[in-house]
Amino acid sequence: MPKFLIWIAALAALVALPHGLSFSQQEILVFLTINVLLVASYRLLTLTGEWSLAHVVIMGVGAYSSALLTKKLGVYVPVSMLLGGVIAALIAVLLSFPLFRMKGFYFLIGSFAAGEIIRLLWKRFRDPFGGAKGIKGIDPMPDFSIGFYKFDFFEPTSYYYFAGVIVAFCLWILWRIEKSPVGLTFHAVHWQDKLAQASGVNVRAYRTLAFAIASGFAGISGALLAHYVGTINPTAFDIDLMVFVLTWAIVGGTATFYGPILGCVVLTVLNEIVLRELGLEQMRPLVYGAIMILSILFLPSGLESIVQKLTKRRAAESAPERSPAE
Amino acid sequence: MISKIVKSGLTRRTFLKSTAVTAMSAGLPGASLAAGNTIKIGFLAPLTGAVAAWGKPGLDGCQIWAARVNAAGGIKLGDGSYNVEFVSYDNEYDPAKARTGATKLIREDGVSFIMMLGGDTWPGVQPVAEKTGMLFSTLLPSDLSPDTNMLIAPAEVHPIYNVTGVEWLAETKPELKTAVMCAQDDALGLPSVATYLAAFEAAGIEMLDEPLLFDPATTDFAPVVTRLISKNPDIVCLDTCYSDYVHPIAEQLFQQGFKGQIISCTADFYDQMIAKTSEDFMEGFVFQFPDFDDPALNGDNINFTDPNGFYEEFNRRHPGQWGAVSWEYASIMDLWKAAAEKAGSASPDAVAAAMKEGKGKHAFGDADWWGTELFGIDNALVGDWPVVAIEKGKARIKDFRSIPAWYAKHGDLLVKHMKAYDQMWDQRS
Repeated sequence: MPKFLIWIAALAALVALPHGLSFSQQEILVFLTINVLLVASYRLLTLTGEWSLAHVVIMGVGAYSSALLTKKLGVYVPVSMLLGGVIAALIAVLLSFPLFRMKGFYFLIGSFAAGEIIRLLWKRFRDPFGGAKGIKGIDPMPDFSIGFYKFDFFEPTSYYYFAGVIVAFCLWILWRIEKSPVGLTFHAVHWQDKLAQASGVNVRAYRTLAFAIASGFAGISGALLAHYVGTINPTAFDIDLMVFVLTWAIVGGTATFYGPILGCVVLTVLNEIVLRELGLEQMRPLVYGAIMILSILFLPSGLESIVQKLTKRRAAESAPERSPAE
Repeated sequence: MISKIVKSGLTRRTFLKSTAVTAMSAGLPGASLAAGNTIKIGFLAPLTGAVAAWGKPGLDGCQIWAARVNAAGGIKLGDGSYNVEFVSYDNEYDPAKARTGATKLIREDGVSFIMMLGGDTWPGVQPVAEKTGMLFSTLLPSDLSPDTNMLIAPAEVHPIYNVTGVEWLAETKPELKTAVMCAQDDALGLPSVATYLAAFEAAGIEMLDEPLLFDPATTDFAPVVTRLISKNPDIVCLDTCYSDYVHPIAEQLFQQGFKGQIISCTADFYDQMIAKTSEDFMEGFVFQFPDFDDPALNGDNINFTDPNGFYEEFNRRHPGQWGAVSWEYASIMDLWKAAAEKAGSASPDAVAAAMKEGKGKHAFGDADWWGTELFGIDNALVGDWPVVAIEKGKARIKDFRSIPAWYAKHGDLLVKHMKAYDQMWDQRS
């Protein structure tokens, strides 16, 4: 099957998807779409070898920025979402000055501390951040019509289409960055940092660049969340969510672009739909934790390794058999 | 009906089913309900995570309530009797998940009413309530504002009832002159801090330090307690801490040798606290939530049906799980049932209107719909509230105190402190 036909079929499936789901599953689909951007942006950061624990706080920076821009300054919602991403990237650049003096474990702990400082600032300053209660009554995306379809953004299907377009565009940019010389340099910074440095690569600048880009997209995901739910508070961006992001990335695998996305989709469907439908609501943390441990033990390269095995096998099966004469 | 059966064909399976239902109906008291005559009630609260102690026991209490009501013939509306069924959704105290849960309960499960803990989760649900016109209840009146017409707080008037504990303490132990306070820095802790500050000021008890607000992620309470008791206070106030905080704080107070008075909004699972400390240490611990085997709950003023029997059944089904919310959601259901039967309908509008007609039958006595000054809307049912103290290892009601009477005397103090903490309805962003 030609590749473009596969893409068209995938696009059609994604457009039709919410219509085959229940209302609550449509809601989960919206949050899943937003989280796909969050985890994909996180992977870009991990390309340089650094695992930050501040990523969801940076997502919160985007959410708070966008919410405040609309509430206090009346900025048009789509513009404020974009600015939320820009502000998150700028904050990441500021954080990079102390953080990139550290590496590995120290960076991990340093990033956690930096994130907590931002969270505590949201709590400490009730004006403008709303303190512990956060901000509520955040303007939703304004409804509009394109003739054959009316976008009512209270409805999850409309917001899914809107968020889906934005997330797809962001994923495309992330993909292009990864495949560009800049992306290859990110890999080099991770795996051969001394060699890269010796070749004239400014390792710290590239780490900062990855951190800023990843944070910018995390900020956009935060803004998408804020304008859908209509409320944000510091607890919404705490370490609990960060553990989920790490779990999605680890269970999905970080060797490929789609690995963390796969982890996010599979674990979200499992946690929010399958276990709830089975009536195991109160056992979800236990089951979720067990699945994570089992996947690490028995699937150390993540879910992406299953996909790779399957696609390789299919490629091998579909390859023309060589004749003995050849 | 007959034509429908004939059309669909009377199979052996259908015949056996209908025969069994008829036989069961004849044998069960009040079970003349037509098949499918069920009203579904949504239970949208945290069932897992740090706040689950204020969700899960409430759902357990509701199941007992439903069993009792259904056995007694169900809810009698204009068009017949209905059984009650609770449909739950674990919102994990997350506003986004609460929104999903509300959508599911209304659009998929067809519930007629949704009960919530409230707090951080309510703003996520508010747009859903506005769009659908569903009636919601909260245990936290600080969720109320003029924008929340379909939100009521009919059981618990947190944190205003906390004034009754301080008032009682000041009257019965006048030698206690100084206090310190701690609370988690969140939507539950802050209005409660403001309330306790007003209550202490009204009682003439001096605060030795600013309230110590700790992060909800705190797990080590040794430094918190060290700082609290460093000024040698007569009273340590635990505000409205979650039980995950009350227990370690009490344990630290015990280990660091505190000998004074402790007052707290809740003392859920206090038997575990006694096990971690001692009966002597917990003697006189004042809080606001009684065990329902308390003889004081058998008075004529109590509207909760058979509190002793409810408590016994709860402990039989869930030993050691009785807590502040075990009875509260069930108490809301008493009010809802009475209102629905009065209106002859389970529709949210009709029930809300019937519920707010005249005085409300609050669990601890008749009460008024109140709240405009503090919440901008009269959607909180406020009356008397019990003051509870631990005596020889058992919670006992010491007195019932009137919240409106306290407010009439000291309302200005409450408003002052609420404003200082940005907790008035018009200050909440």
